[in-house]
Amino acid sequence: MSTAVATPGVAEVPPGAEPVLETENLVKVYGRGASRFDALKGITLQIQRGESLAVVGKSGSGKSTLMHLLALLDQPSAGVVAMDGRPVSQLKAAEISQLRNERFGFVFQQFFLNPNQTVLENTVLPLKIAGVGRAERTRRGMAVLERLELADKAKNKATDLSGGQKQRVCIARALVNEPTVLFADEPTGNLDSATSAAVEDILFGLHREEGITLVVVTHDDDLAARCGRRLEMQDGRIVSDERAGSLVGASSAAPGPTGTEARA
Amino acid sequence: MKALDLAGTAVTNTLRSKLRTFLTVIAIVIGAFTLTLTSGLGTGINKYVDTMVEGFGAPDELTVSKQADGVSTVAGGEPTEYDPDAAASGEMFGLPLLTQEDLDAIRATEHVTDVETARLVEPDYIEGEDGRKWEVPLMGSSFEIDMLSLAAGRAPAAEGDALEVTVPADWVESLGGVAPDDVLGQEVTLVASDPLGAQSGVDAIVVGVTEQVASGSGSGPVPSPELEQRLHDVTTQGLPEEQRNTYFQATVTVEGMPENEAAVKAALGEQGYQAQTLEDQLGVIRGIIDAVTWVLNGFALIALLAASFGIINTLLMAVQERTREIGLMKALGMTGGKIFGLFSLEAVVIGLLGSLIGVGLGVAVGLVANQVLTQGVLSGVTGLVLFAVNPWALLLIIGLIVAIAFLAGTLPAARAARKDPIEALRHE
Repeated sequence: MSTAVATPGVAEVPPGAEPVLETENLVKVYGRGASRFDALKGITLQIQRGESLAVVGKSGSGKSTLMHLLALLDQPSAGVVAMDGRPVSQLKAAEISQLRNERFGFVFQQFFLNPNQTVLENTVLPLKIAGVGRAERTRRGMAVLERLELADKAKNKATDLSGGQKQRVCIARALVNEPTVLFADEPTGNLDSATSAAVEDILFGLHREEGITLVVVTHDDDLAARCGRRLEMQDGRIVSDERAGSLVGASSAAPGPTGTEARA
Repeated sequence: MKALDLAGTAVTNTLRSKLRTFLTVIAIVIGAFTLTLTSGLGTGINKYVDTMVEGFGAPDELTVSKQADGVSTVAGGEPTEYDPDAAASGEMFGLPLLTQEDLDAIRATEHVTDVETARLVEPDYIEGEDGRKWEVPLMGSSFEIDMLSLAAGRAPAAEGDALEVTVPADWVESLGGVAPDDVLGQEVTLVASDPLGAQSGVDAIVVGVTEQVASGSGSGPVPSPELEQRLHDVTTQGLPEEQRNTYFQATVTVEGMPENEAAVKAALGEQGYQAQTLEDQLGVIRGIIDAVTWVLNGFALIALLAASFGIINTLLMAVQERTREIGLMKALGMTGGKIFGLFSLEAVVIGLLGSLIGVGLGVAVGLVANQVLTQGVLSGVTGLVLFAVNPWALLLIIGLIVAIAFLAGTLPAARAARKDPIEALRHE
């Protein structure tokens, strides 16, 4: 996949930058026959390294499905996902798992913290899965907790924390393997506005300081507004793609065969 | 995930729902406990049989007797032709007796180094110095001389013409003694009757007092060879010469028993003799013991089968409860294989826990019960072992249970491994 369709004239992305993730004509269909549901109807998209992308849209617009495919959590029905220019969606399950483990970080709306484990144990789960030794795990886990100002809570059980603290632990867990791309699925959905703002500050701070590529799926317009690029989805298609106020080229909005047909 | 981390996580997860794990483990403990007891029982009884074998004689000996024709006892069919020689030698317990001629033939067989015979004599009674007469329910034989366990005195002379006898320790009081030493040197008379019922006695000196050993040696008076011969002369008085020099069986010593056993047996078999090692004679008993042990083991295995469904149930519940956790781990890059490993290891941990506790309990209870029973109710059976520990059998039991637990764990583990991360993360 070439970078020839890279968006021209956008200030945030330096010219000639390699896209870290790209998709071509991505289709996802659930079910068959009468219950067939086309969640994605041919998405072509590039995400540049160091970009912050908000995917917005109503429920059922396909934004979560898109994220799942980008994050290699699911297989597309048709089309390709490529990472660093290399198609990856057809790799073996074990290779995909390793790729997710090493290159991606995940922050979910629900925290998915293990209540029986300490903050530190929860944080280093990706490293444990990767097979990193205990001493190294603790060292890197403590370093990331330090950065998120949670070091003093490292030995606490995860259940003893407030909502904001829990989400910070989740961010710590997402960062501990030093990922290339951080996927956040409604990261502030369960938090009050003050805590949300704090969590957003952390996420965008990381994006700015570490150059982590951020892919955020959200309903929250405030959160979307802080991203460098805003992708709006409707009925399995991208209906708008704006970057810092300017429209991105039409590459991703290629019309499907049936245009604006409403789905059942 | 490293194997060690996987195992550690499995152990931690097992202890997460303690009551549930505990109840599942109990079911396995019951199976392991039963298996330990039944296999220990088999080991113990077989050990008892082994000690009996040791008491009976050397492993390089064959017991040889004449083969019965078989035809004579079957009703109907053609009658067997009369053979005056065979009839003359007589029979005992339905088996023809060995004559001097037979012994020569056996001695001539290749690899046979020695042939020993023992007569079986049955005195009517024994009379002590005080003139009181006692029945002799079980007369010993001179071949027991080497195997006696003595409480006092010595064994009768194995050779020569001394008229000597030992008596069982139980007889000391009847012979007017208090301690075993008291009866040593006493002159007793052994009285037997000839084929026509006329009684005559042979005097002998008591030289030793015996304690019964597991094989039964020493449970009756043991005569010196000369005394035995004299008693034999009494009981066969007036019989034709062929019948006087007959033996029920002969003990044959074979050189290089392990290599030559089959050859000697075949050679003797061709000549019409039946040769058996002690192992052969006890093989039947051992076979029965093993069969009973396996039936009991079968019951224990049924208990384990039930327990394995407990494991399946417990782990299915755990998989259900931890669906979101499984989803998270898969999302974070854990492969299905490792998830499978995690849950099947949990099953192994449960199996290991249950088998260790069960085997430990089984050994403890078995050893205590063995002590209590053999010292108490069953103290009359000398050298009885009801329960013995065979470390390999215990390891085998633990291995077997862990394997069963692992198999039981594969169903829930496979279910966990197949979970779709997105679905699992949405699970409420």
